[in-house]
Amino acid sequence: MKIFKIRVNGKSYQVEVEEEGTSPASPPKPVLPKSPPPVQGIPQPVAMPTSRPPFPSGSKAMVNSPLPGTILAIKVTEGDAVTRGQTLVVLEAMKMENEIPSPADGKVSSIKVKKGDSVSTGDLLLVLE
Amino acid sequence: MNINKYKDLRERKEKIMLGGGEARIQKQHEKGKLTARERLALLFDEGTFVEMDAFVKHRCVNFGMEKKEIPGEGVVTGYGQVDGRLVYAFAQDFTVIGGSLGEMHAQKICKVQDNALKVGAPVVGINDSGGARIQEGVNSLRGYGDIFYRNTRASGVIPQISVIMGPCAGGAVYSPALTDFVMMVEGPSKMFITGPQVIKAVTGEEVSAAELGGAMTHSSVSGVATFISSNDEECLAQIRRLLSFLPSNNTEVTPPAENDDDPNRLIPELNTTIPDNKNKPFDMKDVISRIVDQGDYFEYQPYYATNIVTCFVRMNGRTVGVVANQPKSLAGCLDINASDKAARFVRTCDVFNIPILTIVDVPGFLPGINQEYGGIIRHGAKLLYAYSEATVPLVTLIVRKAYGGAYIAMGSKHLGGDISLAWPTAEIAVMGPSGAANVIFRKEIKQADDPAAMRIEKIKEYTDKFSTPYIAAELGYIDDVIDPAESRIRLINAFDMLASKREHMPAKKHGNIPL
Repeated sequence: MKIFKIRVNGKSYQVEVEEEGTSPASPPKPVLPKSPPPVQGIPQPVAMPTSRPPFPSGSKAMVNSPLPGTILAIKVTEGDAVTRGQTLVVLEAMKMENEIPSPADGKVSSIKVKKGDSVSTGDLLLVLE
Repeated sequence: MNINKYKDLRERKEKIMLGGGEARIQKQHEKGKLTARERLALLFDEGTFVEMDAFVKHRCVNFGMEKKEIPGEGVVTGYGQVDGRLVYAFAQDFTVIGGSLGEMHAQKICKVQDNALKVGAPVVGINDSGGARIQEGVNSLRGYGDIFYRNTRASGVIPQISVIMGPCAGGAVYSPALTDFVMMVEGPSKMFITGPQVIKAVTGEEVSAAELGGAMTHSSVSGVATFISSNDEECLAQIRRLLSFLPSNNTEVTPPAENDDDPNRLIPELNTTIPDNKNKPFDMKDVISRIVDQGDYFEYQPYYATNIVTCFVRMNGRTVGVVANQPKSLAGCLDINASDKAARFVRTCDVFNIPILTIVDVPGFLPGINQEYGGIIRHGAKLLYAYSEATVPLVTLIVRKAYGGAYIAMGSKHLGGDISLAWPTAEIAVMGPSGAANVIFRKEIKQADDPAAMRIEKIKEYTDKFSTPYIAAELGYIDDVIDPAESRIRLINAFDMLASKREHMPAKKHGNIPL
């Protein structure tokens, strides 16, 4: 507490001054993100189109190995009709039995590998038409 | 007489509302597309759209353009409400000289961008344009530049959603590319820098416009598109859904949704999710949908780099971003594309205050010459960078494999993760048991009477000791090993506990992410 003597219009006053919060200016607090009120009625899910990579009808589709590994099983034979997503080949790679799905609906036109073959990334496994 | 002035206003507006006229509107509909105004009407809550700058006119006097009338300058701009929240939008009008972009067209878009940034509201940009208005020359290029500049300045402040509902070619593609999300519609959407004719003339390669730059190409091959829809209506519904997961700007959090899914729900099915044979894949999306509110997840880049799943979900009503390895695809390995996808998603969440849940089953980075030549070192680093930089709550759940560098990359505690949980099926180690046993016990295996039997024995020894979550838990790298059935309870609890997390990066101009 400090005591000051102040003169106002020729009259003398004694004033006691107390200093509050003597600590240095505290650093600005981070701004908390505001939380607006809850929203009611969330929009419902909308179906997305299914995956159809470019595979125009009447043409051929190459199914290549996505990983380096060993052919564990071949689930189709030449001439089989297959649907998109159906497992064509099981490839053991990265300690995983990877099921290689058909990229589209079609027919197996030729199979280029056999069980036990080692393949690298990009090697042709089979051809669909 | 003032009455004539009112009549004049009505007539002027009616003319602008009709855009390119009935014939062109019909043509637009025949292509399976909605008009700009129909699209905005579907995007916004009914009757909330307020148009700006309807009277803006071009000022080009080249090639007889001074006589040409372009209602609305080929773009409809304004603001309105989506689920009661303010959103800005612009929609290019293909019925008006092909939606081509000239100086004043660009200025209308820039005004939307400037206003949205000032008030902190998202911008939805609907692209349906033949490209630059060639008669306007460099003025139209300047228009694109002005838009790109504002896209970049607003990046990380307000959500920017680009919607491609028609052609978007040449320089025009870079505005969408600079924004947070790109939506494409199967059929009418096309995006490319140079079209099929130019490619044929220059390189001799023949490709259709759809194969080159259609919605599925950009969703599955290039990764340019974030979301894909079958038609305009579904696309606009998806934008509304996306906006419901996002805050209006970087200083807010997403408004919580009403939730009637019990946060204390036990999920016994998760106890049988992981196959007994650890070489068998399972579908990570089954795990995600069981844990989150109402089993509802909104997938980001669903057909690109499918070896990692990224999606927006809600946990007890609050938005959470999920990053999860997908063992069904490429054994769940991290590769160049998966690293890019996940890194971008993590940064998108971080910038908009969305907490991140990482679910781990990763055997490692994908080996291969093409990966190394393609720069997996550079691309994988983006993922490490994104997690290390993120200041939002980071919760990680290790369900099976977490090996080597990929363990570190997938939201580990070492990169700033806040809570790490593991299922008892977790295997956290430097490498898989057989590889590790071959290195550690090379001598013993080589000198054994029966090396094959010795090898199997040593692999088992290693598996029992190290292919568990307990070594990591003993060191505190895993906060707890939990019963899978309790996953939802424990994760919601972790996010609740972290809700008040405040963390700040050291002061800097900006980091130097390895791009």
